Amino acid sequence: MSYPEKKAIVSTLAGIAVLVAYCIYVNGKVKAGEAASDDLKFWAGSMLLFIVIGIAASIVIQIIFHILLSVSITVREQVQTGKSDNKQIERKIAVEMVEDEMNKLVELKSMRIGYIVAGFGLVAALIYARLGFPLAVMMNIMFISFCAGSLLDGISQLYFYRRGVTHG
Amino acid sequence: MGKKNYEITNNIRTLRFFAGEMTQQQLAEKIGASRQTIIAIEAGKYSPSLDLAFRIADAFERSIGEVFEYKIIKE
Repeated sequence: MSYPEKKAIVSTLAGIAVLVAYCIYVNGKVKAGEAASDDLKFWAGSMLLFIVIGIAASIVIQIIFHILLSVSITVREQVQTGKSDNKQIERKIAVEMVEDEMNKLVELKSMRIGYIVAGFGLVAALIYARLGFPLAVMMNIMFISFCAGSLLDGISQLYFYRRGVTHG
Repeated sequence: MGKKNYEITNNIRTLRFFAGEMTQQQLAEKIGASRQTIIAIEAGKYSPSLDLAFRIADAFERSIGEVFEYKIIKE
């Protein structure tokens, strides 16, 4: 499995973890009677909190992933060659992490899928609001559709790396 | 949008063999692409840009027509 595939898996798993954590958190608060459906302050606060957690988790996980990848390349190189040539190891790490036109095309295409999902979620949220549902429902639809868009972005990246990608 | 009535094939695997069994990694390093991209191009899962196609041809010191082939599929 290549570096961009591993990266896509890691960010997708991080996204799933944050979404699950959000669901558990708000479900607990609602069950405990600490949050009402018209308490927009609570919902906005919870969503902002999990957006921040998501960004922080993503940065930390990517850093840990890069460190582990570099360590695994170094160990593999030392086992294979029996020596520790720093320049050679640095070159191998750089080669493993190179991003080229195919990576950019895959990113663009999968990002488009993510935006389409988020866009549909936004429209669905507005329809729900127009139909008279509580604003908390609208906000949750928006938040979850943006999370789903982000997850689909990662999943479609994996799909394009496995099945191939074409221009146009 | 209609069905594609052409295909682009390539001889990269053969050319690598004749270049002293050059590995995909070595070719990738030579042209500044990732190994993943070389694998996808060889398998016909990705058609490179003109820029990358010229760089691949240059790596084998061949013309682009010797590396890539454009075929029209007759129905």
